Amino acid sequence: MKNIEISPVSRIEGHAKITVQVDDAGNVADAHFHVMEIRGFEKFLEGAAVEEAPRITPRICGICQTAHHLAAAKATDMVFGLEPPETAKKLRELMLMGQYIHSHSLHFYFLGAPDLVMGPDSDPAMRNVVGILKSNPDLAMMAIKTRKIGQEITGAVGGKPISPVTAIPGGQSRGITSEQQAKLLSKAKDAIGLIEQGVEVAKPLFTQYSEAIEALGPVESHFGAITNGGSIEFYDGPAKIIDKSGNQVYEFAAADYLDYVEEKVQPWSYLKFPYLKQIGFPEGNYRVGPLARLNVVDTIPTEKASALYGEYKDQYGIAQNALLYHYARLIELMYAAERAVQLLEDDSITGTDLRQNLSEPLMTQAEAKQSGETKRGVGMIEATRGILIHDYETDAGGFINRANLIVSTGQNNLSMDIGVRETAKQMIHGEEVSEGLKNRLEMIVRAYDPCLSCATHAIDGSSPLAVDIYDSDGQLLKKHLL
Amino acid sequence: MVKIALETLASCSGCEISILDLHEDLATLLNQADIVYAPVLMDVKEVPDDIDIAIVSGSVRNVENKERLEELREKSKYLIAYGTCACYGGITGMADLYTSEEVTSRTYSDNPSTVSAPLPNEVVPELLSIVHPAADFTRIDGFIPGCPPKEQLTHDILIPLVNDEAPDVPKKSVCADCQREMEHVEFDTIHRRIEGTPEPGKCFLSQGYVCLGSVTLGRCGGLCTEAGIPCHGCGGPSLDVLREPSHDIYNGVIKRIAHLSKMPEKDVEKQLYDIGHVIYGFVIGSTTMEDKQVSLIPQLVKK
Repeated sequence: MKNIEISPVSRIEGHAKITVQVDDAGNVADAHFHVMEIRGFEKFLEGAAVEEAPRITPRICGICQTAHHLAAAKATDMVFGLEPPETAKKLRELMLMGQYIHSHSLHFYFLGAPDLVMGPDSDPAMRNVVGILKSNPDLAMMAIKTRKIGQEITGAVGGKPISPVTAIPGGQSRGITSEQQAKLLSKAKDAIGLIEQGVEVAKPLFTQYSEAIEALGPVESHFGAITNGGSIEFYDGPAKIIDKSGNQVYEFAAADYLDYVEEKVQPWSYLKFPYLKQIGFPEGNYRVGPLARLNVVDTIPTEKASALYGEYKDQYGIAQNALLYHYARLIELMYAAERAVQLLEDDSITGTDLRQNLSEPLMTQAEAKQSGETKRGVGMIEATRGILIHDYETDAGGFINRANLIVSTGQNNLSMDIGVRETAKQMIHGEEVSEGLKNRLEMIVRAYDPCLSCATHAIDGSSPLAVDIYDSDGQLLKKHLL
Repeated sequence: MVKIALETLASCSGCEISILDLHEDLATLLNQADIVYAPVLMDVKEVPDDIDIAIVSGSVRNVENKERLEELREKSKYLIAYGTCACYGGITGMADLYTSEEVTSRTYSDNPSTVSAPLPNEVVPELLSIVHPAADFTRIDGFIPGCPPKEQLTHDILIPLVNDEAPDVPKKSVCADCQREMEHVEFDTIHRRIEGTPEPGKCFLSQGYVCLGSVTLGRCGGLCTEAGIPCHGCGGPSLDVLREPSHDIYNGVIKRIAHLSKMPEKDVEKQLYDIGHVIYGFVIGSTTMEDKQVSLIPQLVKK
């Protein structure tokens, strides 16, 4: 038995490893995707005044911080029984559109696309955004400009582009002025134009790589996403689960997630493996994120994204292929920019009724302890990578007793693991494994845009991407440095 | 060309995003410097031997984080601890409020959505007993705190460094940049941050809210206080706090509130709440802060 190790998987957020076990006949016996660290947010949130959670949890992930900020804020709304005013909800949704524009363009242009634009077998030293900057500066500048607009929207609405702060229990701490509205509207419109150009560059790539789309990361699963009456929805609504043919299996509100989702611990990864509880493991495997959302929803209610969605749907139907995450991500990128324009064209976005306040004073810690009562808040949101759930139980004074987080990437963990294994089985025979082939295994993982920092959980110190081949006695036979 | 390496230890990757937030200036930077290693952005898997500037973000949480940090030190001329995690342990350091066993048990067994199971123990690296900033293990040539450092700061530091010039960085506290008006007001209650509506334009401390602006290094431009939110201290301790052995974040805040409100310090102390998360949230992992004569960190941390 030989052990092939790919570490770290690069161009993803956080650190991971792929291992492939090859038997003596040269066939793949097993393969796994490993997530290598735990940071422990679920534990160290305990004891915190729950209103601090929207400030602490964005540090789970510096890429989808806004999603954590808002999931946490929604959970605190529920803990305190406060309903944010309409303007506050729109501002939160706008902040989330900024997040989508930044995160989706970061992933597509900076992390994912180099495999397609430069080719999966291209020089690894050039297969990245720096390489694109050198070989196609116009494309790279377009990517930079698109992402910048996302960060500017988040920064203006959220106070800061990274780890925003303005969502508080019951609403928003600050609104936007009509000057900011006009400026952001013009930028959001610019983003639509930039994304149109990006789509023009990207669409032919999906035809060019149709074979890879078929071959890499095969898995069939259920899918889960938030929808609003069948329409795409990122900020609020119930989660809908469909089977692999597209039939609805469940629909549930945030507070009921424990009836539907369960997580399995596997010895080889710090990241847990969520699955549909009533179906069981592994049959209850489900995926989330762009591919899942476009499978779950029936409509996208903005002009350009809707047209792209129609075309995509005609071609792929209920899409199962992991690499189509990239295509779905671009369509959502367009939706996010168009939705930002819609929100900014609505003058109520500059409203000043921004928060509902507590009607009664909070209990002190001593009073809360004596009362023995508890409160609970569950916030669910569509993060860029999929459904994100923050569940806090607090004492009567609002200090956290227990926190549970179902992060987006976790829900794709099993599919990444299966995808890597099945592809390795099909493609690896014998001891020689080319760089391009190893890169293809990484491309499967990359398609999901995993956010391993998010795995609450996640990141090892990492070693260079080396493939070590051992014999059955554990003797190192060969070391490939990639 | 100057050779730059970026490495992420236990962190959220926000520091790397803040470097990407140079936006168009990224292209300018890349005209003057080569990024030779950065797993988050590129596929070069082997750390090169002759790095000029290595930028390490995140805290040291497990054995592999430590090994990687030491390898970077060996292979680079100038090693920068970038971001509050690398400088002070950062928010990950809050894990020190609990033992490693408590952290893993909450995640993998004592958890409402998780089927109870043994801990991950194959392939995954072992956790260290506590969270460490980078300087606990190796010599650091430059510290750039911030969670994450702001893009302008990155610009003002990286561009001169690449050109072999000394960066000129601000040294004031957040209060120096905050536009809110500080005033003496007589009050006797400290509010939770969710209580009431803070008056715009007026200092949070003057209204009885815990704000760490006066004890936090202010290279952020006071963005949070401008957005209506008290400072959480993500930029790490101010230079005053760092220089004075008896000056701590906790006692600094108490003194300031007592001074503004005329409340006796003892009364302020009684009313402060959730000190681990609200006061020390970003520096619990820091021995510099723990060693302060008046620090409460030793009492909070479970080793």
